[in-house]
Amino acid sequence: MFPFVKKKDKQQSNYKPINKKLATNDKYIGQLFSAKINSDFAVREIVARYSEEKVAIYYYATIVNGDKLYKGIIRPLLENVGKDLKEVVTLESINEVNTFEDVVEHINSGKAIIFENGNDTAYSVDIAQFQERGIEKSENESIIKGPKEAFTESLNTNISLIRKRFHDKQLINETHKIGERSKMEVNMLYVGDLVNGEILKNVKDRIKNITADNVRNIEILEQHIEERPYSIVPSILYTERPDNAASYIEEGYIVLLMDNSPACLVVPITFWAFFHSPEDRYLRFLFGNFTRIIRFIAFFITVFVSSIYVGISTFHSQMIPPDLLLAITSARERVPFPLILEVLLMEVAFELIREAGIRIPNPLGPTIGIVGALILGQAAVEANVISPIIVLVVALSGLTSFAVVDVSMNYSIRISRFIFIFAAGWFGMFSLTGAFLLWMMYLASLKSFGVPFFSPLSPGYKSPGNNLFRKIVKKEIWRSGNVQPKDIKKKQTN
Amino acid sequence: MNTDKTLKTKELLAIILLFIGVKMSDSTAAMFSQHAQNAYWLIIVVSLLVMLPPFFLLLYLLRKFKDKNLIELIEHLLGNFIGKFTGFTIFLLSFALMILDSRNYVEEIKLLYFPESPTASIFYIFIAVCFFGAKRGFETIGVTSWIILPFIKISMFFLGFLILGQITWYRIFPIFGNGLDVILTQGIKKASIFSEFIILTIAYTSFRNTKIFQRGSKIGFALVSFELVFFFLLYALIFDYNSIEKLAYPYHDITQFVNFGDFFTNVETFFMVFWLSAAYLRFIIYLYLIAMIFGYVFNVKEYETLLLPLGFITVTLGLLTENAVINELYLRETLLTISTPVFVLLPVLLWLTALIKGDLKRS
Amino acid sequence: MRKLKYSLLLSLITLLLTGCYDKTELEQQAYVVAIGVDKGEKENTYDLTYQIANPEVGSSITGGSSDEAPFELVTVQGIDFMTATATANSFVAKNITLDHTKVLFVSEELARSESFLRGMQGASRTSEIRRQVNIVVTKEDTRTFIETNQPQLETRPHKYYQLMLGRSTETGIVPQSTIHRFFQLTEGDADLFLAMYATTQGEDDKTEGNVDEYIAGQIPKEGGNPTQFMGAAVFKEGKMIDILNGEETRIALILDNTLDMKDLLVTFQDPINKEYQVAGDLSKKDETKVEVDYKKEGPTKIDVTVPFQLEVLAVPSLIDYTNHKKHREKLKESVEGELQETADALVKKAQEEYGSDPFYWSIYIRSQFKTIEEYEQADWNKKIWPNADVTINFDMNRIEFGKMLKDSDLEEVWD
Repeated sequence: MFPFVKKKDKQQSNYKPINKKLATNDKYIGQLFSAKINSDFAVREIVARYSEEKVAIYYYATIVNGDKLYKGIIRPLLENVGKDLKEVVTLESINEVNTFEDVVEHINSGKAIIFENGNDTAYSVDIAQFQERGIEKSENESIIKGPKEAFTESLNTNISLIRKRFHDKQLINETHKIGERSKMEVNMLYVGDLVNGEILKNVKDRIKNITADNVRNIEILEQHIEERPYSIVPSILYTERPDNAASYIEEGYIVLLMDNSPACLVVPITFWAFFHSPEDRYLRFLFGNFTRIIRFIAFFITVFVSSIYVGISTFHSQMIPPDLLLAITSARERVPFPLILEVLLMEVAFELIREAGIRIPNPLGPTIGIVGALILGQAAVEANVISPIIVLVVALSGLTSFAVVDVSMNYSIRISRFIFIFAAGWFGMFSLTGAFLLWMMYLASLKSFGVPFFSPLSPGYKSPGNNLFRKIVKKEIWRSGNVQPKDIKKKQTN
Repeated sequence: MNTDKTLKTKELLAIILLFIGVKMSDSTAAMFSQHAQNAYWLIIVVSLLVMLPPFFLLLYLLRKFKDKNLIELIEHLLGNFIGKFTGFTIFLLSFALMILDSRNYVEEIKLLYFPESPTASIFYIFIAVCFFGAKRGFETIGVTSWIILPFIKISMFFLGFLILGQITWYRIFPIFGNGLDVILTQGIKKASIFSEFIILTIAYTSFRNTKIFQRGSKIGFALVSFELVFFFLLYALIFDYNSIEKLAYPYHDITQFVNFGDFFTNVETFFMVFWLSAAYLRFIIYLYLIAMIFGYVFNVKEYETLLLPLGFITVTLGLLTENAVINELYLRETLLTISTPVFVLLPVLLWLTALIKGDLKRS
Repeated sequence: MRKLKYSLLLSLITLLLTGCYDKTELEQQAYVVAIGVDKGEKENTYDLTYQIANPEVGSSITGGSSDEAPFELVTVQGIDFMTATATANSFVAKNITLDHTKVLFVSEELARSESFLRGMQGASRTSEIRRQVNIVVTKEDTRTFIETNQPQLETRPHKYYQLMLGRSTETGIVPQSTIHRFFQLTEGDADLFLAMYATTQGEDDKTEGNVDEYIAGQIPKEGGNPTQFMGAAVFKEGKMIDILNGEETRIALILDNTLDMKDLLVTFQDPINKEYQVAGDLSKKDETKVEVDYKKEGPTKIDVTVPFQLEVLAVPSLIDYTNHKKHREKLKESVEGELQETADALVKKAQEEYGSDPFYWSIYIRSQFKTIEEYEQADWNKKIWPNADVTINFDMNRIEFGKMLKDSDLEEVWD
């Protein structure tokens, strides 16, 4: 209740109409932007030729295109004649602004505001030029076959990247403003005649209900709109590939974009989205499914290999074939720790190397990472701190974890792995199975914006049959029914 | 989204196959082989045949009185007081069956894999897992069952395949084992080992629509019958008639028996993992359905809150019996015999009341 | 609510502490690969010998000191298999685990006494000894056997047993004799159980004879491990009563459908030049047909047909069987006749001496009865089998001669 009231107050204080006198306006704007100490806030006062009136232009010098400012605003004002200001200024977008609230917002987003003496309307001209990098290759979701472009930190570029891939008049780009202090735009992209109205409303409500001073980028937005902030698994897909985003839009999903993030969010999402890679679809049927199998095995190994090793060797040693058993036993005879501690030690060591590998300055990164891991393992074995098979097990579980492409899911899996190791060390396969079952049930009970996490496998819906494996492209008749698109038929069958 | 009830036929099938199909791997086989030796698989057939008409009668009634589950149907037909009493009786019987059964599974785990651990701690963990699992709700149970089911069934049939080389078909003879009379009386007396089918109808309205239940439960009945008979027969063919009655857990004896080639000789832990998930799921379903029955009998809307006390009572009472043999061969057998008439006659009673009341004609 | 959560968490943590009961680190266990059972000093006690593998021998992972012995032998007295491990722990530092036991040795002395069956009951109760473990009857004390058994190629005992048992059952000179089968047959109260027979003590009075008419200990050989696996110990109702030689064991395997038989290397007398013998590889592709005509009064008729194939491997007499139809016919007749003779002799021995059959044929008669009671009253061992009228037919349906069409003519070579 209270924040709501406060919000209204704030709004009213800025809701000040523009005065006719330029001097008054100038003084007020100077106050708003602390013009005297704010060094890149610029004012240019000139006398317009068409009206012979004093005109003032306000802008942030660092975020506008100086050339455009000169050629599109200042020169025309000084030289051109015309009926009113709109006719004089030759740039493509010019809007009328009536309140100081809008003025502030427009200046902040890189527009120039023109005040005229004797006019209570100001004009905003878009000459923004934010600095950004060019379109580069996708770094974290790299693929071999298929488009290589990735999103950049610029919203317009990103939208253009998506529109380039999906030509549909119904592809709608809806904008919402969030943040109290710094107003940021969130753009929702969806296909109007596909997306489910309820899900759309749900997402909109969540975005509208954000009460934060500033939501800088998508990564923060994700945490604002997710349903279960404490959950171990993510419920929103974060991808930096425009082709991936476009393929979701096409299926009736919603994509969220913001400035300053080289990625987008896809909602609602299921387990399969984290499991799939766009390349599965670019590869031919057999090859794509082969990678799916490999990835599934990798999923399994990374989650379970350490815990199964702990469980079997501390509780069910009868399971291990005698040759292997004797080999492990002889290696363990000089190791000072219990087996579970050995595994935990190496797992933590691996996580340390991984964390350090990310933070380490670029030129040093690769060498230190690999050498560190190798030397650490080798030395630890030679010093009889751990047995060699542990290096094998942990290396395997660490290596396969990279098959989980999604950053968030990767963390979920790595944390789950520790849970399972503890479970296995407690009552062997008995508690490990129990823990796995509960983990599985937890996942199954999750919903992302109302869509069950394991759908359309179960609960079942009409779907393209693209869960663990995928069908050949010709046979994909339906859209995913679990997001309940308005038009479920993807392709007319003959 | 639009509806909470998203479960379809496949999930119902998964639930039935786990809830009832797991019986093939517990000591039910041992209980029957005590009486009929190598012909004990026929007892299952008899029990199924005994349970079939009441179950179908109940399905018929449920179809007539739309959108009512078992307890609602009973109360609708028998009136508030008698209905409540009958409902409570069903609750007590099935709850008691579940307590004895769960103790049975716990003993199985303990004897075969954790001989040093106290029964109590295994029991607590087992029920704790079941409780947390059931707490996630019926939809999750259905989804998880469906996802895990293939792995469980593949492992079980893989075991069946591995053991095929060891069977001797002639061990099926003498065909009637200890006599046809024994098979018939035992089959009729113990028909309540399929009481789960009656209990399951409490979830009649929990699926996307009631047609699903009608169809799914019939398919499930057929599949489960096939599976149980197949495996029980398999045990009889592997162990001769005198050995089968000595084994408490033939499924696990088989898992200890098979090997994958010369190198993996002790693979029971591999099968144990799948068996355990099936057992967990079975009791998750059991616990949930029983809480549901209790909830409907006593009009507790939030019946999921009952899971914790029910689970706790299960452990406390389950630990009372001294050992597995008494539990299985004496208590469970007696209880099954007692509860058979209740479960078999209940649908008939309901049908008769409906007939007398004239409810059947109206709809 | 928060307090409740914390107290729940605390109780969960205390539950965590309970999970150490069955936890044993790998290096805290001693892996038994073979168990030997001998008769103890007192009645109904046993001398149990555990052969414990030394993990440090033969595994290159750490390169442990190689002068250690590959195994340790421990003998204790006990009344059953399980409790004796506890006694053994008074001088073995590690927890003795029977899970990896490959073979159960029983001395002939114990096998012939009644206390053997009693001891085996205990083995079935524990889940540690698997049903796939083979029973091997040794002529001498099991401890002596294990000690004397010094395979040169396979220093690691579990590997040796795995390979030795596998290979010798494949060649058919010993039967497969798992604990599982032992219980099936013994509890079934009909038929005879055949167990592998082995020894490390060679006999001095070596009998002359065919390659496979030996039992273990009689095989003349030089070099190698003194251990011999050959023949089968015959158990009736859980008690050993006789020994079958290699040839009889093979016949029993051929006649029994429930035992695996891959292919057997056998020698027959050359039907044309009787000084020589013919060596061949005998294999059975189809099941032995056993037809039982049960008569309540009078002898039951049992008709057995054994279809088999023969691949001739060596013909030292150089008679051309390959190209002469008549010779082939003769060979066929002679081989069939020879097998038939041995089989008949074995059946006769079984009927008269043993009073039961080593072929597991009682299962074929079961379909004649409706209930177990009827079946048990008919009494296979006492009434049906000894009086049965058994006819055995060997039917060679194919004969092959390997990849050589002709043998080289030695006369010409020597010329």
